[in-house]
Amino acid sequence: MIYESPLYKVVRYVFLVLASIFVLIPLIPLVFMAFKTGAEYSATSVLTPPANWLNFYNFKYAINVGHLFKAFLTTAVILVISLTLQILFTCMVSYVLHRFDFRGKKVVQTAFTLTMFIPVVATQTLVFRMMYAAKLVNTMWSVVILYAGVGIVGIYIMLNLLDNVTREIDEAAWIDGASYFKTFWTIVFPLMRPACTTLLIIQGIALYNDFYIPNLYLNSNVQTFTVALYKFYGSMSTPFEIVSAAILIGMIPILIVFICLQKYIYNGIAAGAVKM
Amino acid sequence: MSATNTKTELRSTGSKDKTARRIFIILFLALPLLHLLIFSYVPIIGNFVVSFTNWKGFGDLEFIGLRNYKKLFSNTEYISMFKNCLWYLLAAIPQLIFAFFLAVVINGKFRGLNVFKGILILPYLLNGVIVSTIFIIFFQNNGSLNAILDTIGLHGLTHKWLQDLKLVNPAIASISIWRYYGMNFIMFFGALQTIPTELYEAAVIDGCTKMQEIRYISIPFIKKVLFINIILSISGSIQVFEIPYIMMNGSNGTLTPVIQIQQSMYDNRVGFAAALSVLVFVIVLIVIGLQRLLVKDD
Repeated sequence: MIYESPLYKVVRYVFLVLASIFVLIPLIPLVFMAFKTGAEYSATSVLTPPANWLNFYNFKYAINVGHLFKAFLTTAVILVISLTLQILFTCMVSYVLHRFDFRGKKVVQTAFTLTMFIPVVATQTLVFRMMYAAKLVNTMWSVVILYAGVGIVGIYIMLNLLDNVTREIDEAAWIDGASYFKTFWTIVFPLMRPACTTLLIIQGIALYNDFYIPNLYLNSNVQTFTVALYKFYGSMSTPFEIVSAAILIGMIPILIVFICLQKYIYNGIAAGAVKM
Repeated sequence: MSATNTKTELRSTGSKDKTARRIFIILFLALPLLHLLIFSYVPIIGNFVVSFTNWKGFGDLEFIGLRNYKKLFSNTEYISMFKNCLWYLLAAIPQLIFAFFLAVVINGKFRGLNVFKGILILPYLLNGVIVSTIFIIFFQNNGSLNAILDTIGLHGLTHKWLQDLKLVNPAIASISIWRYYGMNFIMFFGALQTIPTELYEAAVIDGCTKMQEIRYISIPFIKKVLFINIILSISGSIQVFEIPYIMMNGSNGTLTPVIQIQQSMYDNRVGFAAALSVLVFVIVLIVIGLQRLLVKDD
Protein backbone atom coordinates (compact mmCIF):
# COMPACT_ATOMS: atom_id res chain seq x y z
CA MET A 1 0.00 0.00 0.00
CA ILE A 2 1.44 3.33 -1.05
CA TYR A 3 1.35 6.15 1.45
CA GLU A 4 -0.90 9.02 0.44
CA SER A 5 -0.94 12.36 2.21
CA PRO A 6 -4.26 13.43 3.80
CA LEU A 7 -4.30 16.50 1.58
CA TYR A 8 -4.05 14.34 -1.53
CA LYS A 9 -6.93 12.16 -0.32
CA VAL A 10 -9.15 15.22 0.09
CA VAL A 11 -8.13 16.69 -3.26
CA ARG A 12 -8.85 13.36 -4.92
CA TYR A 13 -12.39 13.19 -3.56
CA VAL A 14 -13.14 16.78 -4.48
CA PHE A 15 -11.88 16.22 -8.00
CA LEU A 16 -13.83 12.97 -8.43
CA VAL A 17 -17.05 14.47 -7.09
CA LEU A 18 -16.73 17.46 -9.42
CA ALA A 19 -16.01 15.13 -12.35
CA SER A 20 -19.08 13.05 -11.50
CA ILE A 21 -21.24 16.17 -11.40
CA PHE A 22 -19.83 17.14 -14.80
CA VAL A 23 -20.91 13.74 -16.15
CA LEU A 24 -24.32 13.60 -14.51
CA ILE A 25 -25.62 17.16 -14.95
CA PRO A 26 -26.55 16.84 -18.64
CA LEU A 27 -28.14 13.44 -17.94
CA ILE A 28 -30.47 14.46 -15.11
CA PRO A 29 -32.94 16.60 -17.13
CA LEU A 30 -33.27 13.69 -19.58
CA VAL A 31 -34.40 11.39 -16.78
CA PHE A 32 -36.81 14.05 -15.47
CA MET A 33 -38.23 14.62 -18.91
CA ALA A 34 -38.99 10.96 -19.57
CA PHE A 35 -41.51 10.96 -16.70
CA LYS A 36 -43.21 14.28 -17.49
CA THR A 37 -46.48 14.73 -19.35
CA GLY A 38 -46.48 16.87 -22.49
CA ALA A 39 -48.24 19.75 -20.72
CA GLU A 40 -45.86 19.49 -17.79
CA TYR A 41 -42.85 19.60 -20.14
CA SER A 42 -43.96 22.86 -21.71
CA ALA A 43 -44.97 24.42 -18.40
CA THR A 44 -41.99 23.56 -16.19
CA SER A 45 -38.25 24.17 -16.30
CA VAL A 46 -36.05 21.29 -17.47
CA LEU A 47 -34.50 21.31 -14.01
CA THR A 48 -37.81 20.65 -12.25
CA PRO A 49 -38.37 16.99 -11.31
CA PRO A 50 -41.52 15.36 -12.70
CA ALA A 51 -44.72 15.58 -10.64
CA ASN A 52 -45.33 11.85 -10.91
CA TRP A 53 -42.37 9.44 -11.05
CA LEU A 54 -44.74 6.62 -11.97
CA ASN A 55 -45.91 8.18 -15.21
CA PHE A 56 -44.87 5.48 -17.70
CA TYR A 57 -46.99 6.80 -20.58
CA ASN A 58 -43.93 8.06 -22.50
CA PHE A 59 -42.21 4.69 -22.27
CA LYS A 60 -45.27 2.81 -23.53
CA TYR A 61 -45.72 5.29 -26.35
CA ALA A 62 -42.04 5.07 -27.34
CA ILE A 63 -42.11 1.27 -27.45
CA ASN A 64 -45.31 1.14 -29.51
CA VAL A 65 -44.60 3.91 -32.00
CA GLY A 66 -40.82 3.81 -32.35
CA HIS A 67 -40.58 0.15 -33.38
CA LEU A 68 -37.87 -0.03 -30.77
CA PHE A 69 -38.32 -3.70 -30.03
CA LYS A 70 -37.90 -4.65 -33.67
CA ALA A 71 -34.83 -2.42 -33.89
CA PHE A 72 -33.32 -4.10 -30.84
CA LEU A 73 -33.86 -7.46 -32.44
CA THR A 74 -32.24 -6.37 -35.71
CA THR A 75 -29.28 -4.94 -33.80
CA ALA A 76 -28.90 -8.18 -31.85
CA VAL A 77 -28.95 -10.31 -35.01
CA ILE A 78 -26.44 -8.04 -36.77
CA LEU A 79 -24.12 -8.01 -33.78
CA VAL A 80 -24.21 -11.76 -33.16
CA ILE A 81 -23.43 -12.64 -36.78
CA SER A 82 -20.83 -9.97 -37.43
CA LEU A 83 -19.02 -10.27 -34.09
CA THR A 84 -18.81 -14.05 -34.44
CA LEU A 85 -17.32 -13.68 -37.91
CA GLN A 86 -14.99 -10.85 -36.95
CA ILE A 87 -13.61 -12.60 -33.89
CA LEU A 88 -13.21 -15.90 -35.70
CA PHE A 89 -11.44 -14.22 -38.61
CA THR A 90 -9.19 -12.27 -36.25
CA CYS A 91 -8.18 -15.49 -34.46
CA MET A 92 -7.50 -17.24 -37.77
CA VAL A 93 -5.37 -14.45 -39.21
CA SER A 94 -3.45 -13.96 -35.96
CA TYR A 95 -2.80 -17.68 -35.57
CA VAL A 96 -1.38 -17.99 -39.06
CA LEU A 97 0.73 -14.84 -38.70
CA HIS A 98 2.04 -15.91 -35.32
CA ARG A 99 2.83 -19.55 -35.97
CA PHE A 100 3.79 -19.89 -39.63
CA ASP A 101 6.37 -18.53 -42.02
CA PHE A 102 5.33 -18.38 -45.64
CA ARG A 103 6.03 -16.45 -48.79
CA GLY A 104 4.17 -13.13 -48.78
CA LYS A 105 3.84 -13.00 -44.99
CA LYS A 106 5.39 -9.52 -44.85
CA VAL A 107 2.88 -8.30 -47.45
CA VAL A 108 -0.05 -9.70 -45.48
CA GLN A 109 1.21 -8.13 -42.25
CA THR A 110 1.73 -4.77 -43.90
CA ALA A 111 -1.70 -4.91 -45.55
CA PHE A 112 -3.38 -5.28 -42.16
CA THR A 113 -1.15 -2.74 -40.43
CA LEU A 114 -1.75 -0.06 -43.05
CA THR A 115 -5.52 -0.14 -42.47
CA MET A 116 -4.96 2.12 -39.48
CA PHE A 117 -4.25 4.85 -42.01
CA ILE A 118 -7.53 4.33 -43.83
CA PRO A 119 -10.49 6.05 -42.17
CA VAL A 120 -13.77 4.20 -42.76
CA VAL A 121 -15.45 7.47 -43.71
CA ALA A 122 -13.01 7.93 -46.60
CA THR A 123 -13.89 4.58 -48.19
CA GLN A 124 -17.68 4.66 -48.12
CA THR A 125 -18.09 6.75 -51.29
CA LEU A 126 -17.21 3.73 -53.39
CA VAL A 127 -18.19 0.98 -50.96
CA PHE A 128 -21.71 2.41 -51.04
CA ARG A 129 -21.76 2.10 -54.85
CA MET A 130 -20.57 -1.54 -54.54
CA MET A 131 -23.24 -2.37 -51.97
CA TYR A 132 -25.80 -0.63 -54.12
CA ALA A 133 -24.77 -2.61 -57.20
CA ALA A 134 -24.92 -5.82 -55.16
CA LYS A 135 -28.44 -4.83 -54.02
CA LEU A 136 -27.38 -5.01 -50.37
CA VAL A 137 -28.34 -1.44 -49.43
CA ASN A 138 -31.33 -1.47 -47.05
CA THR A 139 -30.61 -5.04 -46.03
CA MET A 140 -28.80 -5.90 -42.82
CA TRP A 141 -26.20 -7.84 -44.83
CA SER A 142 -24.43 -4.66 -45.94
CA VAL A 143 -23.81 -3.78 -42.30
CA VAL A 144 -22.95 -7.36 -41.29
CA ILE A 145 -20.37 -7.63 -44.08
CA LEU A 146 -18.72 -4.32 -43.22
CA TYR A 147 -18.58 -5.20 -39.52
CA ALA A 148 -17.03 -8.63 -40.18
CA GLY A 149 -13.66 -7.19 -41.25
CA VAL A 150 -10.49 -7.87 -39.25
CA GLY A 151 -9.02 -4.83 -37.51
CA ILE A 152 -5.43 -4.21 -36.54
CA VAL A 153 -6.15 -3.67 -32.82
CA GLY A 154 -7.80 -7.09 -32.70
CA ILE A 155 -4.76 -8.68 -34.31
CA TYR A 156 -2.46 -7.02 -31.77
CA ILE A 157 -4.56 -8.32 -28.89
CA MET A 158 -4.51 -11.86 -30.31
CA LEU A 159 -0.78 -11.87 -31.15
CA ASN A 160 -0.05 -10.74 -27.65
CA LEU A 161 -2.00 -13.63 -26.20
CA LEU A 162 -0.40 -16.16 -28.57
CA ASP A 163 3.01 -15.10 -27.26
CA ASN A 164 1.95 -16.73 -24.02
CA VAL A 165 0.66 -19.95 -25.57
CA THR A 166 3.62 -22.24 -25.98
CA ARG A 167 4.30 -23.73 -29.40
CA GLU A 168 4.91 -27.12 -27.84
CA ILE A 169 1.16 -27.51 -27.53
CA ASP A 170 0.75 -27.27 -31.30
CA GLU A 171 3.68 -29.58 -31.91
CA ALA A 172 2.44 -32.24 -29.50
CA ALA A 173 -0.91 -32.24 -31.30
CA TRP A 174 0.77 -32.65 -34.68
CA ILE A 175 2.89 -35.54 -33.46
CA ASP A 176 -0.32 -37.18 -32.28
CA GLY A 177 -1.50 -36.90 -35.89
CA ALA A 178 -3.91 -33.96 -35.58
CA SER A 179 -4.35 -31.87 -38.73
CA TYR A 180 -3.47 -28.17 -38.78
CA PHE A 181 -7.13 -27.33 -38.69
CA LYS A 182 -7.91 -29.68 -35.83
CA THR A 183 -4.94 -28.36 -33.84
CA PHE A 184 -6.21 -24.82 -34.20
CA TRP A 185 -9.85 -25.57 -33.58
CA THR A 186 -9.64 -27.98 -30.64
CA ILE A 187 -6.43 -26.87 -28.95
CA VAL A 188 -5.28 -23.31 -29.66
CA PHE A 189 -8.62 -21.58 -30.28
CA PRO A 190 -10.05 -22.48 -26.85
CA LEU A 191 -6.89 -21.05 -25.27
CA MET A 192 -7.49 -17.75 -27.08
CA ARG A 193 -10.75 -17.18 -25.25
CA PRO A 194 -9.57 -14.40 -22.90
CA ALA A 195 -8.43 -12.31 -25.87
CA CYS A 196 -11.71 -13.07 -27.64
CA THR A 197 -13.60 -11.71 -24.62
CA THR A 198 -11.57 -8.51 -24.73
CA LEU A 199 -12.23 -8.05 -28.42
CA LEU A 200 -15.90 -8.92 -27.95
CA ILE A 201 -16.31 -6.16 -25.36
CA ILE A 202 -14.44 -3.48 -27.30
CA GLN A 203 -16.16 -4.25 -30.58
CA GLY A 204 -19.52 -5.00 -28.97
CA ILE A 205 -19.70 -1.51 -27.46
CA ALA A 206 -18.36 0.13 -30.61
CA LEU A 207 -20.75 -1.63 -32.98
CA TYR A 208 -23.82 -1.37 -30.75
CA ASN A 209 -23.24 2.37 -30.63
CA ASP A 210 -22.19 2.82 -34.25
CA PHE A 211 -24.32 5.28 -36.15
CA TYR A 212 -22.40 6.12 -39.32
CA ILE A 213 -22.60 2.76 -41.11
CA PRO A 214 -26.19 1.75 -40.24
CA ASN A 215 -27.43 5.27 -40.97
CA LEU A 216 -25.77 5.14 -44.39
CA TYR A 217 -26.97 1.66 -45.36
CA LEU A 218 -30.24 1.11 -43.52
CA ASN A 219 -32.94 3.58 -44.36
CA SER A 220 -36.33 1.97 -44.52
CA ASN A 221 -37.79 -1.01 -42.74
CA VAL A 222 -34.55 -2.55 -41.42
CA GLN A 223 -33.02 -0.39 -38.71
CA THR A 224 -30.53 -0.80 -35.91
CA PHE A 225 -31.37 0.76 -32.58
CA THR A 226 -29.28 3.90 -33.15
CA VAL A 227 -30.94 4.53 -36.52
CA ALA A 228 -34.44 3.87 -35.17
CA LEU A 229 -33.77 6.33 -32.39
CA TYR A 230 -32.48 8.88 -34.89
CA LYS A 231 -35.51 8.53 -37.19
CA PHE A 232 -37.75 8.77 -34.19
CA TYR A 233 -36.06 11.92 -33.01
CA GLY A 234 -35.61 13.42 -36.45
CA SER A 235 -39.32 13.46 -37.17
CA MET A 236 -40.56 16.77 -35.83
CA SER A 237 -43.82 15.29 -34.64
CA THR A 238 -42.19 13.28 -31.87
CA PRO A 239 -42.38 15.19 -28.58
CA PHE A 240 -39.17 15.49 -26.59
CA GLU A 241 -40.50 13.70 -23.52
CA ILE A 242 -41.17 10.62 -25.66
CA VAL A 243 -37.67 10.75 -27.16
CA SER A 244 -36.24 10.95 -23.64
CA ALA A 245 -38.14 7.83 -22.64
CA ALA A 246 -36.91 6.02 -25.77
CA ILE A 247 -33.34 6.95 -24.89
CA LEU A 248 -33.64 5.66 -21.34
CA ILE A 249 -34.93 2.39 -22.79
CA GLY A 250 -31.93 2.33 -25.13
CA MET A 251 -29.56 2.80 -22.21
CA ILE A 252 -30.88 -0.26 -20.36
CA PRO A 253 -29.04 -3.00 -22.31
CA ILE A 254 -25.74 -1.17 -22.25
CA LEU A 255 -26.06 -0.50 -18.51
CA ILE A 256 -26.88 -4.15 -17.79
CA VAL A 257 -23.89 -5.29 -19.84
CA PHE A 258 -21.76 -2.72 -18.09
CA ILE A 259 -22.80 -3.67 -14.56
CA CYS A 260 -22.08 -7.33 -15.31
CA LEU A 261 -18.80 -6.72 -17.10
CA GLN A 262 -17.36 -3.56 -15.51
CA LYS A 263 -14.08 -5.23 -14.62
CA TYR A 264 -13.66 -6.68 -18.11
CA ILE A 265 -14.54 -3.40 -19.79
CA TYR A 266 -11.87 -1.48 -17.92
CA ASN A 267 -9.24 -4.18 -18.31
CA GLY A 268 -10.21 -5.08 -21.85
CA ILE A 269 -10.17 -1.59 -23.29
CA ALA A 270 -7.06 -0.69 -21.37
CA ALA A 271 -5.30 -3.82 -22.65
CA GLY A 272 -6.31 -3.07 -26.22
CA ALA A 273 -5.16 0.51 -25.89
CA VAL A 274 -1.75 -0.21 -24.44
CA LYS A 275 -0.97 -2.61 -27.27
CA MET A 276 -1.45 -0.05 -30.02
CA MET B 1 3.65 -6.35 -35.66
CA SER B 2 5.42 -6.64 -32.38
CA ALA B 3 4.78 -10.26 -31.58
CA THR B 4 6.03 -11.87 -34.75
CA ASN B 5 9.45 -12.35 -36.24
CA THR B 6 10.99 -14.57 -38.84
CA LYS B 7 12.14 -17.15 -36.31
CA THR B 8 8.63 -18.08 -35.27
CA GLU B 9 8.25 -21.06 -37.58
CA LEU B 10 7.27 -24.29 -35.93
CA ARG B 11 9.53 -27.26 -36.53
CA SER B 12 8.35 -29.33 -39.44
CA THR B 13 7.16 -32.63 -38.07
CA GLY B 14 7.76 -34.50 -41.28
CA SER B 15 4.39 -36.20 -41.20
CA LYS B 16 2.85 -32.96 -42.46
CA ASP B 17 3.27 -32.42 -46.15
CA LYS B 18 3.76 -29.01 -47.65
CA THR B 19 0.47 -28.96 -49.51
CA ALA B 20 -1.66 -29.42 -46.41
CA ARG B 21 0.24 -26.60 -44.78
CA ARG B 22 -0.18 -24.30 -47.75
CA ILE B 23 -3.89 -25.06 -48.04
CA PHE B 24 -4.35 -24.33 -44.34
CA ILE B 25 -2.60 -20.94 -44.58
CA ILE B 26 -4.51 -19.91 -47.69
CA LEU B 27 -7.82 -21.06 -46.25
CA PHE B 28 -7.34 -19.08 -43.06
CA LEU B 29 -6.21 -15.88 -44.77
CA ALA B 30 -8.42 -15.86 -47.88
CA LEU B 31 -11.64 -14.32 -46.60
CA PRO B 32 -10.15 -11.69 -44.27
CA LEU B 33 -7.71 -10.61 -46.99
CA LEU B 34 -10.44 -10.46 -49.60
CA HIS B 35 -12.52 -8.30 -47.23
CA LEU B 36 -9.55 -6.02 -46.69
CA LEU B 37 -8.95 -5.68 -50.40
CA ILE B 38 -12.58 -5.03 -51.39
CA PHE B 39 -13.60 -2.73 -48.56
CA SER B 40 -10.37 -0.85 -47.80
CA TYR B 41 -7.81 -0.88 -50.59
CA VAL B 42 -9.99 -0.89 -53.70
CA PRO B 43 -12.15 2.05 -52.51
CA ILE B 44 -9.23 4.11 -51.22
CA ILE B 45 -7.34 3.73 -54.50
CA GLY B 46 -10.54 4.04 -56.51
CA ASN B 47 -11.24 7.35 -54.75
CA PHE B 48 -8.13 8.85 -56.32
CA VAL B 49 -9.32 7.90 -59.81
CA VAL B 50 -12.94 8.94 -59.27
CA SER B 51 -11.88 12.26 -57.69
CA PHE B 52 -10.69 13.42 -61.14
CA THR B 53 -14.10 12.72 -62.71
CA ASN B 54 -17.63 14.02 -62.36
CA TRP B 55 -19.01 10.51 -61.83
CA LYS B 56 -22.60 10.43 -60.60
CA GLY B 57 -22.45 6.90 -59.24
CA PHE B 58 -23.64 5.37 -62.50
CA GLY B 59 -22.73 5.72 -66.18
CA ASP B 60 -19.29 6.37 -67.65
CA LEU B 61 -16.36 8.14 -66.04
CA GLU B 62 -15.73 11.55 -67.54
CA PHE B 63 -12.39 13.02 -66.52
CA ILE B 64 -12.51 16.68 -65.50
CA GLY B 65 -8.97 17.07 -64.18
CA LEU B 66 -8.56 18.96 -60.92
CA ARG B 67 -11.94 20.68 -61.03
CA ASN B 68 -13.28 18.90 -57.90
CA TYR B 69 -10.22 19.90 -55.91
CA LYS B 70 -10.35 23.48 -57.19
CA LYS B 71 -13.96 23.70 -56.07
CA LEU B 72 -12.95 22.47 -52.60
CA PHE B 73 -10.27 25.10 -52.15
CA SER B 74 -12.08 28.05 -53.68
CA ASN B 75 -15.53 27.86 -52.09
CA THR B 76 -15.61 29.56 -48.67
CA GLU B 77 -18.32 27.19 -47.44
CA TYR B 78 -16.00 24.23 -48.00
CA ILE B 79 -13.02 25.96 -46.45
CA SER B 80 -15.07 26.83 -43.37
CA MET B 81 -15.92 23.19 -42.75
CA PHE B 82 -12.21 22.51 -42.24
CA LYS B 83 -12.10 25.49 -39.91
CA ASN B 84 -14.96 23.91 -37.95
CA CYS B 85 -12.71 20.91 -37.34
CA LEU B 86 -10.32 23.22 -35.49
CA TRP B 87 -12.95 23.76 -32.77
CA TYR B 88 -12.99 20.01 -32.17
CA LEU B 89 -9.21 19.96 -32.09
CA LEU B 90 -9.28 22.78 -29.53
CA ALA B 91 -11.79 20.86 -27.38
CA ALA B 92 -9.39 17.91 -27.36
CA ILE B 93 -6.90 19.84 -25.20
CA PRO B 94 -9.05 20.15 -22.04
CA GLN B 95 -10.43 16.69 -22.83
CA LEU B 96 -6.99 15.05 -22.69
CA ILE B 97 -5.88 17.01 -19.60
CA PHE B 98 -9.09 16.11 -17.76
CA ALA B 99 -8.80 12.45 -18.77
CA PHE B 100 -5.18 12.29 -17.68
CA PHE B 101 -5.72 13.69 -14.19
CA LEU B 102 -8.79 11.53 -13.77
CA ALA B 103 -6.72 8.46 -14.60
CA VAL B 104 -4.03 9.53 -12.14
CA VAL B 105 -6.40 9.97 -9.20
CA ILE B 106 -8.44 6.85 -9.93
CA ASN B 107 -5.27 4.75 -10.07
CA GLY B 108 -5.26 3.77 -6.41
CA LYS B 109 -7.32 2.01 -3.79
CA PHE B 110 -9.89 4.00 -1.84
CA ARG B 111 -13.50 3.85 -0.73
CA GLY B 112 -16.02 4.53 -3.48
CA LEU B 113 -13.56 3.68 -6.24
CA ASN B 114 -15.99 1.45 -8.13
CA VAL B 115 -18.86 3.93 -7.87
CA PHE B 116 -16.70 6.65 -9.41
CA LYS B 117 -15.43 4.26 -12.06
CA GLY B 118 -19.02 3.42 -12.94
CA ILE B 119 -20.17 7.02 -13.23
CA LEU B 120 -17.12 8.25 -15.09
CA ILE B 121 -17.30 5.60 -17.80
CA LEU B 122 -20.97 6.31 -18.56
CA PRO B 123 -20.54 8.79 -21.46
CA TYR B 124 -18.23 6.36 -23.27
CA LEU B 125 -21.05 3.79 -23.35
CA LEU B 126 -23.65 6.07 -24.94
CA ASN B 127 -24.19 6.31 -28.69
CA GLY B 128 -24.17 9.48 -30.77
CA VAL B 129 -27.95 9.82 -30.97
CA ILE B 130 -28.30 9.63 -27.20
CA VAL B 131 -25.47 12.12 -26.63
CA SER B 132 -26.93 14.50 -29.21
CA THR B 133 -30.36 14.43 -27.57
CA ILE B 134 -28.88 14.95 -24.14
CA PHE B 135 -27.09 18.05 -25.37
CA ILE B 136 -30.01 19.44 -27.31
CA ILE B 137 -31.84 19.43 -23.99
CA PHE B 138 -28.74 21.01 -22.46
CA PHE B 139 -28.15 23.78 -25.02
CA GLN B 140 -31.64 24.63 -26.33
CA ASN B 141 -33.06 28.04 -25.48
CA ASN B 142 -35.12 26.81 -22.54
CA GLY B 143 -32.57 24.06 -21.80
CA SER B 144 -30.60 23.16 -18.71
CA LEU B 145 -27.58 25.37 -19.34
CA ASN B 146 -29.64 28.55 -19.56
CA ALA B 147 -31.82 27.39 -16.66
CA ILE B 148 -28.75 26.81 -14.50
CA LEU B 149 -27.30 30.20 -15.45
CA ASP B 150 -30.61 31.83 -14.58
CA THR B 151 -30.84 30.02 -11.25
CA ILE B 152 -27.39 31.13 -10.11
CA GLY B 153 -28.12 34.69 -11.17
CA LEU B 154 -26.01 34.90 -14.31
CA HIS B 155 -28.81 36.00 -16.66
CA GLY B 156 -26.28 37.93 -18.70
CA LEU B 157 -24.53 34.75 -19.78
CA THR B 158 -27.59 33.01 -21.23
CA HIS B 159 -27.50 32.66 -25.00
CA LYS B 160 -29.24 31.02 -27.89
CA TRP B 161 -26.36 28.55 -28.02
CA LEU B 162 -27.48 26.59 -31.07
CA GLN B 163 -28.71 29.52 -33.16
CA ASP B 164 -25.97 32.06 -32.58
CA LEU B 165 -23.57 31.56 -35.49
CA LYS B 166 -20.59 32.56 -33.36
CA LEU B 167 -21.43 30.19 -30.52
CA VAL B 168 -22.84 27.10 -32.18
CA ASN B 169 -19.52 25.52 -33.22
CA PRO B 170 -17.70 25.99 -29.92
CA ALA B 171 -20.84 24.82 -28.10
CA ILE B 172 -21.24 21.56 -29.98
CA ALA B 173 -17.48 20.97 -30.17
CA SER B 174 -17.35 21.15 -26.37
CA ILE B 175 -19.73 18.17 -26.28
CA SER B 176 -16.88 16.01 -27.52
CA ILE B 177 -15.07 16.65 -24.22
CA TRP B 178 -17.97 15.02 -22.38
CA ARG B 179 -18.41 12.30 -24.92
CA TYR B 180 -14.85 11.18 -25.62
CA TYR B 181 -12.79 11.84 -22.49
CA GLY B 182 -13.80 8.36 -21.28
CA MET B 183 -11.85 6.64 -24.04
CA ASN B 184 -8.68 8.62 -23.26
CA PHE B 185 -9.27 8.10 -19.56
CA ILE B 186 -9.42 4.30 -19.86
CA MET B 187 -6.34 4.23 -22.08
CA PHE B 188 -4.35 6.37 -19.65
CA PHE B 189 -5.62 4.30 -16.75
CA GLY B 190 -4.54 1.07 -18.47
CA ALA B 191 -1.09 2.51 -19.13
CA LEU B 192 -0.70 3.80 -15.56
CA GLN B 193 -1.49 0.35 -14.22
CA THR B 194 1.59 -1.04 -15.95
CA ILE B 195 3.85 1.16 -13.80
CA PRO B 196 5.44 -0.95 -11.05
CA THR B 197 4.33 0.19 -7.57
CA GLU B 198 7.96 0.04 -6.37
CA LEU B 199 8.60 3.23 -8.31
CA TYR B 200 5.92 5.07 -6.37
CA GLU B 201 7.13 3.59 -3.08
CA ALA B 202 10.63 4.82 -3.83
CA ALA B 203 9.21 8.25 -4.65
CA VAL B 204 7.42 8.39 -1.30
CA ILE B 205 10.63 7.42 0.53
CA ASP B 206 12.48 10.15 -1.35
CA GLY B 207 9.82 12.63 -0.23
CA CYS B 208 8.36 13.44 -3.64
CA THR B 209 5.16 15.44 -3.87
CA LYS B 210 2.27 14.07 -5.91
CA MET B 211 2.98 16.58 -8.69
CA GLN B 212 6.63 15.49 -8.80
CA GLU B 213 5.48 11.88 -8.99
CA ILE B 214 3.27 12.71 -11.97
CA ARG B 215 6.00 14.74 -13.62
CA TYR B 216 8.88 12.28 -13.17
CA ILE B 217 7.18 8.85 -13.06
CA SER B 218 3.69 8.83 -14.57
CA ILE B 219 4.22 11.04 -17.63
CA PRO B 220 7.55 9.54 -18.81
CA PHE B 221 6.23 6.01 -18.27
CA ILE B 222 3.08 6.42 -20.33
CA LYS B 223 4.51 8.84 -22.90
CA LYS B 224 3.67 6.53 -25.79
CA VAL B 225 0.01 6.23 -24.81
CA LEU B 226 -0.21 9.99 -24.24
CA PHE B 227 1.13 10.50 -27.73
CA ILE B 228 -1.26 7.98 -29.29
CA ASN B 229 -4.17 9.81 -27.68
CA ILE B 230 -3.03 13.15 -29.02
CA ILE B 231 -2.79 11.65 -32.51
CA LEU B 232 -6.19 9.97 -32.18
CA SER B 233 -7.68 13.34 -31.20
CA ILE B 234 -6.17 15.09 -34.19
CA SER B 235 -7.24 12.43 -36.69
CA GLY B 236 -10.63 12.24 -34.96
CA SER B 237 -11.29 15.95 -35.27
CA ILE B 238 -10.99 15.83 -39.05
CA GLN B 239 -13.53 12.97 -39.09
CA VAL B 240 -16.19 14.59 -36.89
CA PHE B 241 -19.63 13.51 -38.00
CA GLU B 242 -22.22 12.33 -35.52
CA ILE B 243 -22.84 15.27 -33.18
CA PRO B 244 -23.11 18.08 -35.79
CA TYR B 245 -25.03 15.76 -38.15
CA ILE B 246 -27.57 14.51 -35.62
CA MET B 247 -28.01 17.78 -33.73
CA MET B 248 -27.83 20.29 -36.55
CA ASN B 249 -27.81 18.28 -39.80
CA GLY B 250 -24.78 20.39 -40.69
CA SER B 251 -26.88 23.58 -40.76
CA ASN B 252 -26.06 26.94 -39.12
CA GLY B 253 -22.46 26.72 -40.28
CA THR B 254 -21.76 23.41 -38.52
CA LEU B 255 -20.86 21.48 -41.66
CA THR B 256 -17.89 19.11 -41.41
CA PRO B 257 -16.03 17.29 -44.21
CA VAL B 258 -17.63 13.93 -43.43
CA ILE B 259 -21.16 15.38 -43.41
CA GLN B 260 -20.39 16.97 -46.77
CA ILE B 261 -19.09 13.64 -48.13
CA GLN B 262 -22.35 11.97 -47.21
CA GLN B 263 -24.50 14.77 -48.62
CA SER B 264 -22.58 14.75 -51.90
CA MET B 265 -23.02 10.97 -52.12
CA TYR B 266 -26.76 11.32 -51.72
CA ASP B 267 -26.78 14.13 -54.32
CA ASN B 268 -25.03 11.80 -56.80
CA ARG B 269 -21.92 14.00 -56.79
CA VAL B 270 -19.70 10.95 -56.26
CA GLY B 271 -16.67 12.53 -57.95
CA PHE B 272 -16.74 15.47 -55.56
CA ALA B 273 -17.34 13.19 -52.55
CA ALA B 274 -14.32 11.14 -53.65
CA ALA B 275 -12.11 14.24 -53.83
CA LEU B 276 -13.14 15.25 -50.33
CA SER B 277 -12.53 11.66 -49.12
CA VAL B 278 -9.04 11.77 -50.62
CA LEU B 279 -8.36 14.99 -48.73
CA VAL B 280 -9.56 13.52 -45.40
CA PHE B 281 -7.51 10.37 -46.09
CA VAL B 282 -4.36 12.36 -46.83
CA ILE B 283 -4.72 14.42 -43.65
CA VAL B 284 -5.19 11.28 -41.52
CA LEU B 285 -2.26 9.65 -43.33
CA ILE B 286 0.03 12.56 -42.52
CA VAL B 287 -1.03 12.73 -38.87
CA ILE B 288 -0.69 8.99 -38.17
CA GLY B 289 2.43 8.71 -40.32
CA LEU B 290 3.98 11.45 -38.23
CA GLN B 291 3.19 9.53 -35.07
CA ARG B 292 4.78 6.33 -36.40
CA LEU B 293 7.91 8.22 -37.44
CA LEU B 294 8.28 10.07 -34.15
CA VAL B 295 7.66 6.97 -32.04
CA LYS B 296 10.27 5.00 -34.01
CA ASP B 297 12.87 7.68 -33.42
CA ASP B 298 12.21 7.52 -29.72
